[in-house]
Amino acid sequence: MTKCKISEAQVIDYVIGALDVPSAAEYRHHLTTCNHCIRQVNVLKHVLQLVDTAEAEITPNAIVLTDLNSKLYRRLAEEPLQNASVQSRFTDFISRLGLILQLQKPAVVGLLAVVAITITLLVVNPFDNEPTFEVDQTESANARIEQYHHQGIQRSMEDVIRNKHLRQSDEWGTVSQLNRVKDQAKGTDWATLANKHLKGVSSKL
Amino acid sequence: MISCSILNESLANNMDKMIDDEMLVTQFKSGIQKAFDELMKRYERRIFSYLLRSVRNYEDAEELTLEVFFKAYRALGSWEPKAKFSTWLYTIASNLSIDYHRSKSRHPVFTFEDEDVIEKRLVATDISSNPEKQLEDKERGEIIRAAVDELSAKQKEVFMLTRYEGLQIKEVADTLGMAEGTVKIHLHRAIKKLQTLLQPLWENNEI
Ligand SMILES: [Zn+2]
Repeated sequence: MTKCKISEAQVIDYVIGALDVPSAAEYRHHLTTCNHCIRQVNVLKHVLQLVDTAEAEITPNAIVLTDLNSKLYRRLAEEPLQNASVQSRFTDFISRLGLILQLQKPAVVGLLAVVAITITLLVVNPFDNEPTFEVDQTESANARIEQYHHQGIQRSMEDVIRNKHLRQSDEWGTVSQLNRVKDQAKGTDWATLANKHLKGVSSKL
Repeated sequence: MISCSILNESLANNMDKMIDDEMLVTQFKSGIQKAFDELMKRYERRIFSYLLRSVRNYEDAEELTLEVFFKAYRALGSWEPKAKFSTWLYTIASNLSIDYHRSKSRHPVFTFEDEDVIEKRLVATDISSNPEKQLEDKERGEIIRAAVDELSAKQKEVFMLTRYEGLQIKEVADTLGMAEGTVKIHLHRAIKKLQTLLQPLWENNEI
């Protein structure tokens, strides 16, 4: 048997799939006649398989990163950024609306539903006591955390309202969701609001 | 405001499928905070796994993951996309990992098991003289990871990024600020070194 002239780098590239298609095909053909390369390929595959298994052991499928979001925002609140500009709500609304229109083309019905609810909410405005939270970069860290807390409650509240409109028949669902918001909002104006809605829904049951 | 948020929810529901990273960056730059939450959701596990492999310690990896997103959040406003967003994120993670190892200025500490890991490290280097020893899977894993940690910092980075993060050679080159040829050299050396270090594990078995 003549000594194989294939370079070590080429064997590695073959094993890790870094060769282009023609080169890989050519090398596969070479493998039919070269025992030296067959052994080398098998050894490398085995090495990589061992390492893959060992590395997989330490990264469980269900990585639980507890609350990374709120940790990040807490951190951001603790170290306020200088000279940050705050977008007006109107601009924000327009850009969101623009994106929605862009995204929802295939789901015209869904979009119409969202728009209908939006208009209903704008006209009816069930949140006449809605607390407002202006972002101020000079606010203390605690105030910022409080703000995120309120935003969380607000999101939950909006969930309830939206679900209430979409699934009119499921009043039990709405009640339990409202109760959860009430818990979450304990000690804030939102709790009063949740209570008001709760009474409204409960009276229908 | 309420209606904004309802639209926003709807937006978030569609983010997974329809918006690429760079679009989310644009959204974030125009003031939509939620876009960053989505970016974080997409990458937090990958960045965490990458850092976990690098520092071999859950708490530190989690802390560094937070640091990556903190830095990203702060810098994203002025970030100009020369490479992919994910590449940029890995660059931040890689730099933090280098700083971490520099500050520790020693081998990564194994906190997954016990302190007798150091002893197992010795076994790993001495295993060829104990070929009859039957290794438990757990021990075997530790020995193999110890071998990975024997790679130079650059070799290990290149190996991890290509093998476990699915980055192309070009992307690794961008991430680490190296030429593609250099990345390939580090990768070849890494695999060759792993072969040499792990040889005692299989040399008694026919492959
Ligand atoms: Zn050959």
